[in-house]
Amino acid sequence: MAQIEIKNLRKSFKDDAVLKGVSLDVDKGEIVTLFGPSGTGKTVLLRLLAGIHAPDAGTIALRGRDVSGSPPDKRGIGMAFQNFALFPHMTARDNIASALTARKADSAEIARKVGAVAQLLKISHVLDHSPRELSNGQKQRTALARALVADPDILLLDDPLRNVDAKLRYEMRLELPALLKRAGSTVLYVTQDFKEAMALGDRIAVLLDGEIEQCDTPARIYAEPVSIGVARLFGDPTLNLVAVEPRLVDGAPEILVGGATIRLPASYAATAGGSYMLGLRPESLRLVDGPAPGTITVDLVAVTPLNEKSVLLLTMEGGQELLASEAGDRDEPRRTGPAHAAFDKDAVLLFDCASGRRFVPADATGVSK
Amino acid sequence: MSAALSLRDVDKIYHPRGRSAVHAVKALSMDVDRGEIVALLGSSGCGKTSTLRMVAGFEEVSAGAVVLANRRIEHLAPAARNVAMAFEGYSLYPPLTVRDNIAFALKRGRLSARDVSRRVQEMAALVEIESILDRYPNAISGGQQQRASLARALVRDADLYVLDEPMGQLEPQLRAVLRGRLKRLLKDRAMTSIFVTHDQTEANALADRIAVMEGGVLQQFANQHDLKERPANLYVATFIGEPPMNVFDASVVRSDDRTTFQLDNGPSLGFGDNELGPEVRQAIGSRRRLVIGVRPHRVALGNGGAETARVVSNQWLGDQSHVAMAVAGKLLVAVSHERVRAAIGDSVPYGVRAQDLHMFDPDSTVALAHGARAA
Repeated sequence: MAQIEIKNLRKSFKDDAVLKGVSLDVDKGEIVTLFGPSGTGKTVLLRLLAGIHAPDAGTIALRGRDVSGSPPDKRGIGMAFQNFALFPHMTARDNIASALTARKADSAEIARKVGAVAQLLKISHVLDHSPRELSNGQKQRTALARALVADPDILLLDDPLRNVDAKLRYEMRLELPALLKRAGSTVLYVTQDFKEAMALGDRIAVLLDGEIEQCDTPARIYAEPVSIGVARLFGDPTLNLVAVEPRLVDGAPEILVGGATIRLPASYAATAGGSYMLGLRPESLRLVDGPAPGTITVDLVAVTPLNEKSVLLLTMEGGQELLASEAGDRDEPRRTGPAHAAFDKDAVLLFDCASGRRFVPADATGVSK
Repeated sequence: MSAALSLRDVDKIYHPRGRSAVHAVKALSMDVDRGEIVALLGSSGCGKTSTLRMVAGFEEVSAGAVVLANRRIEHLAPAARNVAMAFEGYSLYPPLTVRDNIAFALKRGRLSARDVSRRVQEMAALVEIESILDRYPNAISGGQQQRASLARALVRDADLYVLDEPMGQLEPQLRAVLRGRLKRLLKDRAMTSIFVTHDQTEANALADRIAVMEGGVLQQFANQHDLKERPANLYVATFIGEPPMNVFDASVVRSDDRTTFQLDNGPSLGFGDNELGPEVRQAIGSRRRLVIGVRPHRVALGNGGAETARVVSNQWLGDQSHVAMAVAGKLLVAVSHERVRAAIGDSVPYGVRAQDLHMFDPDSTVALAHGARAA
């Protein structure tokens, strides 16, 4: 059963409609990352759940019970919000412990729990500091520790790693899921970082313009985005978009990309005659020997290394730029100049130009969860 | 190739009022070749920005020499150095349009109006600000100002291009493309460039060589490949790379024709002399303690691995899997471009090859060996 049930939630501030009918279920023990660009209403949604704001319309049920009208402290939710909200006169240790002392736990037990969570979040060395002596990253982790220490069954986290430096943020990204799973909490986790959204979420709810555009497993969101809007939020570099007009030639669908004719799988036949954007992930585009049927003539403009990959900037006939990425070391570095590119037909995404929605081919089986 | 820019034993010491002196840059020497793109990379306070400002002329050197195109420039005013700059704080002139700001950099030269216009247009297209050329600096966004400032620097003919976090504020989609275009421009025209960044992705993408700084000291000055495969010390090894190198404290045990690294509170990794060659054994010498490291991309997962470990997390990012395992009381991170099927709590085999090991002296933190070769 869903621990968090959100139905048709609407919220406006003055004339600004921030949430335009959001529905979302989060199952017991599940981590759902709430992801989207800034200003799409992620924090507002969390505040409605916490009871800090009241919705204009719609319902919220926690553990199967409608919580409309019940104040924040009666909802039994653990929270870590962006403004930290630490007690300024207390040490970090007492701030964390405050979540337990309110419940009259015994002091040895409190000390043990605070010590354990502080170690996991790597703030053991600053437990005796007061909030003003902490860096923003440390404040954020103290607030997170306070939320985690009470083992809440429902946890709302608003971008808790935002101010943490990159290296620590990466470590926490690896360690947080196990920590949350061990506690068995049901978690709604807000982030603006697509890697964090993919790494931490059992599912990702993509919030765009006040609506949940897609909610699915990270792998499916990446491979089968419902729209251009969703597709563009994932990937580094982001996907290439090329305007195409599929047509049927001898009954088979074809598109023209950079002057090359590319045959699509038969399941795309219904796109013939329409206007689409071809979405190509950089890793599904590669340089090949050529020319050959189905290859695109390109100019390799520059090679820019990215970790263990290289990102290739290509221009096609007509001047449009494409980014390709390739893994692994090459004995000989690539030389800029004329080249030929091809892409995986399985990785083709076609988005309707008018609606932005992805065309779902008839035989789509989907990637496994 | 002769150096276009040389820094020779450059020091920078700040004397803040009422506080002790800060030695921000320590005896920095480096040569930048003609047409080369160099990144100064490090965390905040490492001395990279002080270095850049001394090259540009916004800071005096406390000691040492700066030589550009065979001229000593450290005592010259910024405008007399023939250096083109895009700097935070070196802002656009508010009374001029973006177009005139960029053109202004050219007008002291002897170009015709048509040539000026053509070159402004070309740079504006490169950084995608054509649509805002007739607007004023205070009417455009921070990201647009940054691009206008970049165009104003690139449009000039100069002995050196000095760029401060050139793409810091740009959105990711544009950034990836701009990096490629900028690199091509700098290479095609052999524009000697030095830029500061705290973002290693940026440094990797654009630079021919990267100067890694920490604590005011140049830690290593090398290309991307050598920084990854032959880091000079533990700092560079764990700073460069995303995710960073896995490192473990270990004891060295020699027996017959085998060397065993006993990780503290962890497994032993044993290698025969056929795997761990004489050069590496000599580099280890009589040391009983080492820090050993392996890059996440070189940890092999799956059958054939000599060790097993429990999976702490397994995260698929669309084009790569990051798998963290509990090893020696820490995390051992493995990265694969294929999707790895393993659940939290699973026991998975993994292996580390002798050729992928890095070894460091635990006291000095200096590198001893990389793969089959001594450091």
